Amino acid sequence: MSIVGPSGCGKSTLFNILSGLLLPDGGEVAVGGKSVVGSTGHAGYMLQKDLLVPWRTVLGNITLGAALTGRVTEEDRRQATSFATRYGLGDFLRHYPGSLSGGMRQRVALMRTLALNTELLLLDEPFGALDAQTRFEMQQWLLSVWRDSQRTVLFITHDVDEAVFLSDRVLVMSPRPGRIVDDVEVAITRPRTLATLTETDFTTIKARILRQLHRDAESLS
Amino acid sequence: MNRLKIFRNLVVPVISFSALIGLWELIILWGHVQGYLAPTPLAAWEAISSNWSTLWPLTSWTIKETVWGFGAGAVIGILFGVLMSKLRFLQRSLYPVLVVTQAVPIVAIASPLVLLMGFNLGPKVVIVAWIVFFPVTVNVLDGLNHVDHDLITLARVLGARPWRTFFLIEVPATITPLFSGLKIGATYAVTGAVIGEMAASSGQSLALYQHTQIGQLNSAGVYGTTILMTAIGMSWFLLMITLEHLCTPWLRRSVARRWSRGARTLDNTYVVKGAK
Repeated sequence: MSIVGPSGCGKSTLFNILSGLLLPDGGEVAVGGKSVVGSTGHAGYMLQKDLLVPWRTVLGNITLGAALTGRVTEEDRRQATSFATRYGLGDFLRHYPGSLSGGMRQRVALMRTLALNTELLLLDEPFGALDAQTRFEMQQWLLSVWRDSQRTVLFITHDVDEAVFLSDRVLVMSPRPGRIVDDVEVAITRPRTLATLTETDFTTIKARILRQLHRDAESLS
Repeated sequence: MNRLKIFRNLVVPVISFSALIGLWELIILWGHVQGYLAPTPLAAWEAISSNWSTLWPLTSWTIKETVWGFGAGAVIGILFGVLMSKLRFLQRSLYPVLVVTQAVPIVAIASPLVLLMGFNLGPKVVIVAWIVFFPVTVNVLDGLNHVDHDLITLARVLGARPWRTFFLIEVPATITPLFSGLKIGATYAVTGAVIGEMAASSGQSLALYQHTQIGQLNSAGVYGTTILMTAIGMSWFLLMITLEHLCTPWLRRSVARRWSRGARTLDNTYVVKGAK
């Protein structure tokens, strides 16, 4: 599921509340029917900045969550190694992040989030800083990760194409006050490819979301 | 590429250093400077080597002062820096006091220290520590206060306990500023030791030895002593650079060494097992 909306509408604040970093003024956060308001650790949260720590290797970064909460066990290392091997970074386990490209760094950051083994993944514009081509590769990669792990992914983006391409559902938010103004189901078959981007179904859904996003702008003109 | 780097980092300083000594020798010889005013570097070197049996005990004494003083100063400096970054009220109340300690002329605290501690190792160690701790505290405090806030947030999201965040995120992020403080302290340590020896010496010390050489108009002895003192300070600085180098492999290497911490977490057996 993706969330799109203009800057400042509260997308990131929503994620901060969902992850437990911020307390909501009211309301409930429930994962699997259990309230998790104000507690951290139930959701893997990945920000736009990759935030890899430069003094740990790729392997060390993937297992950072385990190191921060307890001991890094053999199992953690095995899992991290298999992630990295499966997603094309097997030869870079002992590399420091400083020697990696932007796309590789984002992949490591996502693996670190995956390694937390939470049911819920919150991804806040993870590919926002990448060039268009790398971004498409990363989207494909994310879909394969999602298919492998079968976890719930909440995805924030500014890019409507990205939202529709990746999601089963897209929530559209309005500017201040931040409200959900539309809930769009994306019933496009998977696996999705480059051709999906130009299908009629795709463009129809995209047009509907764009109309919602730019309602205010149109009413002004 | 690598050979070029070694050349730049090692050969160039050696050449410039030798040139400086050569220039010194030439100025004395060609300028017809009288021997009692200033010696040639060779004469200064002879003044060291021919009196080595006298000078070595004095030198080792000064080294001992800097070892204890620098060690204490570094530990106290780190402690103050960490405590002040963690407890805001300490930062507000202690920082001004620490600044005052540095405004007091060092020579002026030497005499009270002699009254308190006598003429032994004590006052010199205190003076060295007094000078060394301050740059360490300031740099550690600045370093800890400027750790990327997003990294701290990330640690919270990952469910970290505060002290683990401290050791795994904040400490590594502060290594570079810490060593900036230690390097400044290292160069000052020998200065502090010599000031201590001048103000509170019981007879046997490099500073007093130099003083008697002045009385005898033995310029070679005076310069030789200065060279010894400088060598102590430089050794400390080089030690700190080496330590910093070893503590920050990620700044120069793209791949962790096999024996380093980062690599140790990789158990090669799992690569093999995973491949099965």
